[in-house]
Amino acid sequence: MAEKQKRHMSQKLKNKLSNGLIYTVLIVVSVIWLFPFFCLVCESFRCESTHQVGYIIPKVWGFDNYINLFTKTDFLIWYKNTFIIAVFVSVIQTIMVLTMSYTLSRLRFKGRKSLMNIMLILGMFPGFITMIVLYKILSGMGLTGANSVPGLILVYTASSAMGYYVSKGFFDTISRSLDEAARIDGATRFQVLTKVIMPLSKPIVIYTILTAFMAPWGDFMFAKYIAHNTSRGMNVAVGLQNMISTPSSLTANYTMFCAGGVLVAVPITILFMSLQKYYVEGVTGGAVKG
Amino acid sequence: MKKFLIIALTAMMLLVFTGCDKPKEETYKITVWVSESEGVKELTEQQIARFCEENGVTLDATVEGISEADSATVMITSVEDGADIFCFSQDQLSRLVQAGALQVLGEAASATVTELNDEISVKAATVNGQLYCYPLTSDNGYFMYYDKSVVKEEHLDSLEDIIADCEAAGRLFSMELETSAWYNASFFFATGAVSEWVTDESGAFVSVNDTFNSEAGIIALKGMQKLLKSPVYNSSSNAADFSAAIPSAVLISGTWAVSDVKAALGDNFGATDLPSFTVDGVEYHLGSFSGNKLMGVKPQTDANKAALLQKLALYLTNEKCQTERFELKGWGPSNLAAQQLDAVKSDIALAALNAQNAYATPQGQIHGSWWNIALAYATSAKEATTDAELQAALDSYKQAIDALFALDTSGLIFVGAWNGWNNTDDAMRMEKDNETFTITVEVPESDYMGGRIVTPGEWDNDKGVTAVTVGVELIQPADAEGNPDNNIIFLAAGTYEVSYNATTGEISIVQK
Amino acid sequence: MSEYKVERINLFEDLSDFDYLRLNKFQALLYKFIKVIRVVPKWFLNLFVLVGKYIKKFFTYIKDEFVDIYTTFVYGDWKTKMSFFIMGFGSIARGKVLRGILFLVFQVVFIVYLCFGGIHWLSKFKTLGDTKASTVYDPNLDTYVRVDGDDSFKIMLYSLLTIIFIIAFIWTWRTNVKQNKIMEDILKSGKKLKSTKEDIQSLLDEQFHKTLLAIPLTGIMTFTVFPIIFMILVAFTNYDAAHDGYSNLFTWVGLTNFNALFSMNIGSDNLSFAFGEILSWTLIWAFFATFTNYFLGMFVAIMINKKGIKLKKLWRGILVLTSAVPQFVSLLYISKMFANNGLANGLLMEWGFIKNISGIIKFWGVKEIARTMVIIVNVWIGIPYTMLICTGILMNIPKDLYESSQIDGATAFQQFVKITMPYMLFVTGPYLLTSFIGNINNFNVIYLLTGGGPSNPALLTSGGSAGDTDLLITWLFNLTTGAESKYYLAAVIGIMIFVVVSSISVVVYNVMPSTKNEEDFS
Repeated sequence: MAEKQKRHMSQKLKNKLSNGLIYTVLIVVSVIWLFPFFCLVCESFRCESTHQVGYIIPKVWGFDNYINLFTKTDFLIWYKNTFIIAVFVSVIQTIMVLTMSYTLSRLRFKGRKSLMNIMLILGMFPGFITMIVLYKILSGMGLTGANSVPGLILVYTASSAMGYYVSKGFFDTISRSLDEAARIDGATRFQVLTKVIMPLSKPIVIYTILTAFMAPWGDFMFAKYIAHNTSRGMNVAVGLQNMISTPSSLTANYTMFCAGGVLVAVPITILFMSLQKYYVEGVTGGAVKG
Repeated sequence: MKKFLIIALTAMMLLVFTGCDKPKEETYKITVWVSESEGVKELTEQQIARFCEENGVTLDATVEGISEADSATVMITSVEDGADIFCFSQDQLSRLVQAGALQVLGEAASATVTELNDEISVKAATVNGQLYCYPLTSDNGYFMYYDKSVVKEEHLDSLEDIIADCEAAGRLFSMELETSAWYNASFFFATGAVSEWVTDESGAFVSVNDTFNSEAGIIALKGMQKLLKSPVYNSSSNAADFSAAIPSAVLISGTWAVSDVKAALGDNFGATDLPSFTVDGVEYHLGSFSGNKLMGVKPQTDANKAALLQKLALYLTNEKCQTERFELKGWGPSNLAAQQLDAVKSDIALAALNAQNAYATPQGQIHGSWWNIALAYATSAKEATTDAELQAALDSYKQAIDALFALDTSGLIFVGAWNGWNNTDDAMRMEKDNETFTITVEVPESDYMGGRIVTPGEWDNDKGVTAVTVGVELIQPADAEGNPDNNIIFLAAGTYEVSYNATTGEISIVQK
Repeated sequence: MSEYKVERINLFEDLSDFDYLRLNKFQALLYKFIKVIRVVPKWFLNLFVLVGKYIKKFFTYIKDEFVDIYTTFVYGDWKTKMSFFIMGFGSIARGKVLRGILFLVFQVVFIVYLCFGGIHWLSKFKTLGDTKASTVYDPNLDTYVRVDGDDSFKIMLYSLLTIIFIIAFIWTWRTNVKQNKIMEDILKSGKKLKSTKEDIQSLLDEQFHKTLLAIPLTGIMTFTVFPIIFMILVAFTNYDAAHDGYSNLFTWVGLTNFNALFSMNIGSDNLSFAFGEILSWTLIWAFFATFTNYFLGMFVAIMINKKGIKLKKLWRGILVLTSAVPQFVSLLYISKMFANNGLANGLLMEWGFIKNISGIIKFWGVKEIARTMVIIVNVWIGIPYTMLICTGILMNIPKDLYESSQIDGATAFQQFVKITMPYMLFVTGPYLLTSFIGNINNFNVIYLLTGGGPSNPALLTSGGSAGDTDLLITWLFNLTTGAESKYYLAAVIGIMIFVVVSSISVVVYNVMPSTKNEEDFS
């Protein structure tokens, strides 16, 4: 008995020790991961100079950078543009992705396999090479420059169905016997989708909405191309990136740039934190199957 | 019914005609791209408003900011959608001309620009004898900013001493050597090496006189190594270096950095010309590029708009506007009158730039690929320890430069006695129409009036003269081994049209 | 002496399970490796056979189509015959007005388009234009004026559109003919045609996939397939800044660009050298970027998921924060932090790790350090996502596996090697592949951190204008936006990236166990 207790004790001790070690590692990891953000926030409140400096804690704190951002630049327009794009993209893209993945996961029809193969092959072309063509197509439709917002929404969403993998993986995990039961009860395929599958798919829907909503905030390459140096047509990433594109503008705008970065990060972070549960479920349910 | 139709049609015609006859007082919608630097956009808007007022025109102008280094890239992406008037730095000019993004100035405008601006800036705006744009500034050069508390006054003339001062103080020396050929060429100009490029009327480069690969080039690289190999070296031109975690004490940069440097250094602010370096007991004063910022107008299909835009660009680069820009941003004017202003003359950064200008090389037109190729020797020199390695770096530089003019080996050329049997002669290129290659040659009287059709740069050919039709007699003598010689031999001097059909292998020669 | 007769086992042949189990660990590994290699030629053989089969299938299909069209015409009634010339005629005549009108409208639009544009563009497709835009001098206004000419880009764009339109028309026409036959057959057999209402209803049931896929596929066709075809065509032209189509025409140059990439010229034309160098680094990078992320992400996930660790949500949230801040903000900050004069060096100096200025670490200035740095920073970016994925899988591993192994006295490490790893590798196979491909095209990390640097003299003078950390994708970007905007070369490299990526995928797909059986898992 004593022997067993001892073993139990040593096991417990060992466990405690390893947990302690894990906590230490996690804390170190968290510090490393948070450090750049901490610095970023500090930079955004630094008022004594606008360029990069060799210390972290500002000497003079204040909201100057934020005020400048709104008064001296078109930040509000960029922010609004990006928000509009993000909302539309998240709605349209979610519909596109879900229909595509549902179709491929649930329905069996001629050409299904080849369709999947073709999309796989298309995905292997680097997206950059088509940038110039897409620009010219949009330009022909009058959707560049000041009208970039609808143009970007169009391009972001049009091919978004190709990113069906994660959600198809998710649908694949929902048992097909549910469909069949409903079909036997006389439901059409459309009803199966709306009445049976959708209610079970909350995590993947939210996951898709979330990823679709986040992507437009970070795109500066393609959006820059489409905006063609028209401030009114820029998204927040392009506007901010332009602020620091040359050494002299980097010197003049750096802290303002950081303030912009913080303003972009805040809503996404909040959204992310609050929907984290679904995001995790979506990723783990779908990505694994790929 | 018919009557009604006729009446309706006449009414429509009338409407159309009256619509056409109405005198047009059009408000043009224009886009102007200027520097993204703070305040420039607003200033330009004011200047355009003033222009409209003075000339009694109305313009719907959108002014956007963009760095002068990037504007050409965006323009070239789509000239059609690009700005009507845009500013750019000089190194972008040939690129823009090639892309057809610039409209040549009219005669009167050319004359005005040439008269009012300094000679170098006018040259900078000229490609192959034609003025393509308007000089905006004459300050696109670099000089030395330094921290007075670190670099001693008496050391300012010597690169070695400055490096030693920096090292002693634990401060960096910022100069872009590995990241910008614009700066690193400074060492080559110091030793008298040159890189002069020639373009044709389309803006394409046709030849170069480059002496970087020489004794002088080796000396330049040795001088560069003094900084490259020093622990204080930092490849950057950013004014923020003065307040970085490990701050710089010296920065090689241009007038655009002046306000930031002043703010960072305060009382210790100093600006002067570049120092000299010493190799084998000889002193070489660092050279530099002196360049300009330019303003260009995009080609227009509407003549009235084109004329108006030329007028506006001329206005935006005149004495008054340049002075205003100097007052706002400290940009050195290219306008001769503005250069004479006391404020301009006494400006400390411009004074440093002027001091450096004595050693500067006007930038002229330089091939776009050069800026990348010329980074290579700096990176190589950083590692190199022997003269042979330096020489190797310059050799590969030279090779790369020469390859920019590599022969187009497509197609065929007709070489022979008339061009000294030069098988890389572009002038002898045969014109291609479907599968038939044609050229007209003038064959002068000589002992051997032979020639052959070859692939450029090669002698072997199988464009054998198997079936020649009209005109001249043809000789196909066998050589020692009995192989037929493929030369076409003319029996009389004169002008001939030679054509070769690639599918049938037939050659026909017609005397003109 | 052993009493068993020891046979030499030939590792180059397929082994029975019995023989396989007799191998020692090293032999087993070697055997597996050889097996993979042995598959490759066989696979290529299969590929050729497959391609042959498809070609045969294609021609048989075409033949059958023509035969069918012919018989439909010859044996069809007059309504069907009329439909050959006036699309939808048969449908209208048989009472399916809506469908018939749709066919007819399509035909009219097609013909009108062809007459008022299509043919015009197609006629110029062969040369991509012959009249360049020019300038004339207007003496009254003392100004030069542009006179528009052909625009090669537009010619190519609209010609391609026209070709696609023609293909679409042929397809629709064929459908129209087919439907006539079907309708005729139905009527002949005495049945009634479906009403329009029934047709529409079937789109929500039997034909539901058509309804669902219509819009997504149209989008993919227009904004992915079409541009890709276009850019493949660009690879065969001389489209660059000096031949932009609008000011100067560009034209077809055949295989010249591909030759240029693979020719061994010296100097600034030696693109094959640059391509080889950049490709090999791209693959090295993709390998390390994928696997460092994978293992470290798994490690972190295991730590967070361990029983008894509290605040799981918080730890995950902190890590995931990296994806909330746009990369161009966070990566740029990190890039500046590790500059020669940046915060990292400053702190190292302050803390005494660096004695004086000659000790500063050139994080981005030395090839090996810079390459290591980008991989490390990529871990910072990538771990959160891997961590999330691994979390889910870890939860799915049956718990009894661990419990029974614990009774057998397995250590935690042994459990990891024998249970966790194999399970993870099996399940995440496809994910690893996609993430490998993603890393080949990982633009942001390289572009924002190093911009391709440090510069590499050999690459610079070979016309590559690339640096030591440049990937194919950033190189492609440099070529597109660089001094000469060589779109044609970018297109060629884009195609090469595709070739690389697809070959890797094909090989991996054929070797990996978990990719094949889609249905297994549901």
